[in-house]
Amino acid sequence: MKQMTGCLCAVALLAFAAPALAKTWQVDAAHSTLTFTNTYQNVEYTGQFRRFDANIAYDPNDLAHAKFDVSVDVSSLDTQNSERDHTALGADFFDASKFPKAHFITIAFHKAAGGKVIAYGTLTLHGVSKPVSLTVAFAPHGDTATLDVTAQLKRLDFGIGTGQWADPSMIGDGVTVRGHLTLRSPR
Amino acid sequence: MPLRSTERGWGALVRTFHWLVAALILAQGVIGLTMVQMGLTPAKVRVFALHKSIGMTILALVLLRIAWRLTERRPADPPVMPPWQRRAAHAVHVALYLLILAIPLSGWWFNSASNAPLVWFGWFDLPSLTGGLDPVWKPRALLLHQTLFWILVALLVIHVGAALWHHFRQRDDVLLRMVVSPRKKSGET
Repeated sequence: MKQMTGCLCAVALLAFAAPALAKTWQVDAAHSTLTFTNTYQNVEYTGQFRRFDANIAYDPNDLAHAKFDVSVDVSSLDTQNSERDHTALGADFFDASKFPKAHFITIAFHKAAGGKVIAYGTLTLHGVSKPVSLTVAFAPHGDTATLDVTAQLKRLDFGIGTGQWADPSMIGDGVTVRGHLTLRSPR
Repeated sequence: MPLRSTERGWGALVRTFHWLVAALILAQGVIGLTMVQMGLTPAKVRVFALHKSIGMTILALVLLRIAWRLTERRPADPPVMPPWQRRAAHAVHVALYLLILAIPLSGWWFNSASNAPLVWFGWFDLPSLTGGLDPVWKPRALLLHQTLFWILVALLVIHVGAALWHHFRQRDDVLLRMVVSPRKKSGET
């Protein structure tokens, strides 16, 4: 009996000690996109990464326990131009065979003035880790929700297309990344 | 120096169109055949952009040339030319017009189907003809662009050869009147 009590206590303790997370969501991959906008010869174009895994824990009323953990399959890059994609995945740019995954993980969330939520985190891309902040827009609809995030990056910060390709009139340095996730409550 | 063509010779505007487009076509041929051999560097991207810009320039010039052609006469053929030569010469001229319209258009089409930018000398964007990537038509447009180019090369050999034949063998003014102003008729001042 004493043993059993101890066991129960341990279970209770574990439950309490487990990191309390905000509500976790399942990502509906078919209705989620990860796109980016950049310029090529000063003409804007949009590309996307077709394969990524996102672990999302988010409750707008409990930002202290929110967490985004996103892993991107770099080789799923698609800018609707096969020559450009082939070049972008090569050694001068993403070097996807050496760095097949990009990873973003949040460190903290902050509600800014005006109610805008900013997620601070670290992006590891092309072997380079840099702090990146996202603006977060979350819209719940009952059991589902949409999560839209936007980040401004500089490709050269991550060593993508340096040297002869660094000229921003050829390929813009600034990149706007947009994630649009459709979330569902786990059953 | 008359701007308009006359019974006896080509006007200054037509001669300008002719030699300007001739020079641009020559440049396009050299650039086009060279650029596809280049390794992928920013220089290659710039040379492709130049090729596209010159091609669109030729397209615009040819459209203007055809519009101008509709407003004026063409000089008479040398009276000694047999009818088959006249027909052949005119057929080659029509084919050249069609080709120098179709080659830039097929290039524009290929560029559009490839979803590549098209910025005229870095100055303004030209719209896509396909509204984005078109993987089905992309290889067909490229094949058409290349095939029409080689047909153009063959016709230019005939065109230039015929011009030289007129000048050196027939000793008529068919070539010269594309170079110099029409001579004035006697009595004109």
